[in-house]
Amino acid sequence: MFDTLLGVSFTLLALWAVLGTLYRIVTWVRTPSPLPIPLTPAPRTRLGVVGRLCLEIFLFRALARANTVTWVASILFHYGLLFILIMHMRFFFAYLPGWLIPFVVWSGWAVAAAVVGLCILLLRRIIVDRVRYISSPSDYLHLVLLLCIVLSGYALKRHWPVNTSTVGEFLRGALSFQWQPLPDGAVLVIHLVFVLLLFFVFPISKLLHGVGIVFTPTLNQRENVSVSVATKKGEHSS
Amino acid sequence: MNTPDVQGVADQAQVVGRYKVIPLIQEGAGESFNTAVAESDVQESLGLPGTLVDDWHDKAIARLGQLLKERRGLRVFMDTCTKCGACTDKCHYFLGTHDPNNMPVARQDLIRSVYRRYFTWAGRWFPWLVGARKLDKNLLQQWYTYFHQCSECRRCTVFCPKGIDTSEVTMAGREVLASVGLGQQYSQEIITKVKSVGNNLGMKPRALADVLENLEEDILDETGIPVRLPLDEEGADMLVVTPSADFFAEPHVDGLIGYAKVLHQAGIHWTFSSEASEAANFGLFTGQHDHMREIALRIRHAAMGLGVNRIVIGECGHAWRVAYSFLDSLVGPMQFLSKEHPRAEHICEVTHQLLQQGIIQLDPTRNEGVIVTYHDSCNVARGSGMGNVANGQLTIPRELLKASVPGFVEMSKDTVGQTTFCCGGGGGLLTDDLMDIRIKGSLPRAQALQAVVNSDQVTHLVAICAICKTQLSSVLPHHNLVDVRVTSLHHLVGDALVLT
Repeated sequence: MFDTLLGVSFTLLALWAVLGTLYRIVTWVRTPSPLPIPLTPAPRTRLGVVGRLCLEIFLFRALARANTVTWVASILFHYGLLFILIMHMRFFFAYLPGWLIPFVVWSGWAVAAAVVGLCILLLRRIIVDRVRYISSPSDYLHLVLLLCIVLSGYALKRHWPVNTSTVGEFLRGALSFQWQPLPDGAVLVIHLVFVLLLFFVFPISKLLHGVGIVFTPTLNQRENVSVSVATKKGEHSS
Repeated sequence: MNTPDVQGVADQAQVVGRYKVIPLIQEGAGESFNTAVAESDVQESLGLPGTLVDDWHDKAIARLGQLLKERRGLRVFMDTCTKCGACTDKCHYFLGTHDPNNMPVARQDLIRSVYRRYFTWAGRWFPWLVGARKLDKNLLQQWYTYFHQCSECRRCTVFCPKGIDTSEVTMAGREVLASVGLGQQYSQEIITKVKSVGNNLGMKPRALADVLENLEEDILDETGIPVRLPLDEEGADMLVVTPSADFFAEPHVDGLIGYAKVLHQAGIHWTFSSEASEAANFGLFTGQHDHMREIALRIRHAAMGLGVNRIVIGECGHAWRVAYSFLDSLVGPMQFLSKEHPRAEHICEVTHQLLQQGIIQLDPTRNEGVIVTYHDSCNVARGSGMGNVANGQLTIPRELLKASVPGFVEMSKDTVGQTTFCCGGGGGLLTDDLMDIRIKGSLPRAQALQAVVNSDQVTHLVAICAICKTQLSSVLPHHNLVDVRVTSLHHLVGDALVLT
């Protein structure tokens, strides 16, 4: 009964997260952008824009220019989390595929990176007066929630190991509307509930920033397109 | 002017590189610096309420909701800020005032908190959790104060990992304020003038013609060469639209003479227009797109009336952003322009091209003893391009300067180029009642300048923006920088030009 409740919650909240994100994207895209406001010097080609966005999304270029401590902490946390997420793909296979083995073996280091990164970000939010001034309770809680998820997951791996194939069946079941039981274990339930909470807040909070950056006109617009057209026609050739 | 504050800033300015020391926040430090609210006749002539309307709360929320539906940038920026703090020490007004509301993110939060309260589910039900606020009189006053302590220079955007553009938020804030009766006197009055007379100064065509005639005589006396400054000449090939300060203010007017000399030497048939005797477009500052469009349309109309096939914009930062980035969107493509010059050009790219083609010659020895440093104007560096080459807006002015003077020195890297510090007077703040804020906001620029004055004996600070020139000329003395001359780029070009 409890398993089914968790399973159905998982299904519904995963849907909520995906549909909520899509809804937000649709809101952004449907809002007109009457004047071009790229931050110049800006790329003149679409490929250039993709490159600019990739630099921001994968390397946090602007943050690197702005603040080294925040940049290091953010890189540690985001890449740690990405590594852990990839590791979780093991639950979508009945047998562990070879390419996932390094992710499983090294996930302890990824946890360490994510925890260190999150702690620095949390400390910075508390200690630096400027950042404290702009922080709301939710800003702290997002970091605490992520810490809870990562730490409870690590506890599962190290101290209260669960039957991964049963967890896999539960997750695959929840995503295919064929709900399966979850292995026993309070820590597993705690870990899962934290994740469900994350699913819930994701589409209605700042956690959408990773998606939003793609739709940011200052970064995704090209510099004066009519000029590019003029250049192609060949005048001012130098 | 001689308040203790001013003296304090001047003292600090002695310590070079101090802008790199991030100050501790000081709540309310900037709240007393306010700009006059627009008078009712000014507001009403723009079709806006003359005083704060009774139902200002509902009207403001409705207008904000409308802007959120009309401007994607604003909408995305409201949602994507993670409060990472990267921008918090990047604004010159924060560095100058220490007021936390001048941190770009806090400035945005003045609106974001209201956005969350009225337009998001989380903010409506859990305002305390997500920092959502009701719009009350107190907050409205903060909007007015701090959206007029932003020069919309977009330096913070460079450092924002989400690319959030505070100027878009400031513009939206000012737009909402004006719509409920709280426009800014300085900007709104200028918009009424440019609409009724054709320029920000309210200079009538006859007066303009007299000014140009006198300038022609001055040039003839000085050089012995009849350089013309034509007005409303039908059949000219090129329309030059320049900020009206160029017609009389110092050091702007020397730049104007420079344009005339260059165009004379190149044998170009050009003209000014009395209808479009202003390049500036304060509709950008106030965020009112309809006004921005109307002001931009004058340029199109004047160009068609005169039958020109080129439009050239003089040394003006935000005018160039409007011309380079927005003109097509605002007034449609201008098919009447020649195929070789299908868009508005900057006077610097015109001069640069003439120089490259060997049509004009510059002789730097004519500016003997001049050592310049170049102040990148925000709207040029971060809001536009120049000359169909990547980074042209940064390289072309420098190439012109290096060809015109014997000495060129760069200020510290994080204060020029894309990360240039604002002069402190842009975005509609160039008004006497904001003098305190202008002085404080110019602190980083003044300190970077002081460093090169000390190290390289810089004599001239060059800018290609009317606002930068006026602002820097009036604030630098407050930073004890009295020996540096603020100069128009085309003044030095004009002096170096081999004129025949």
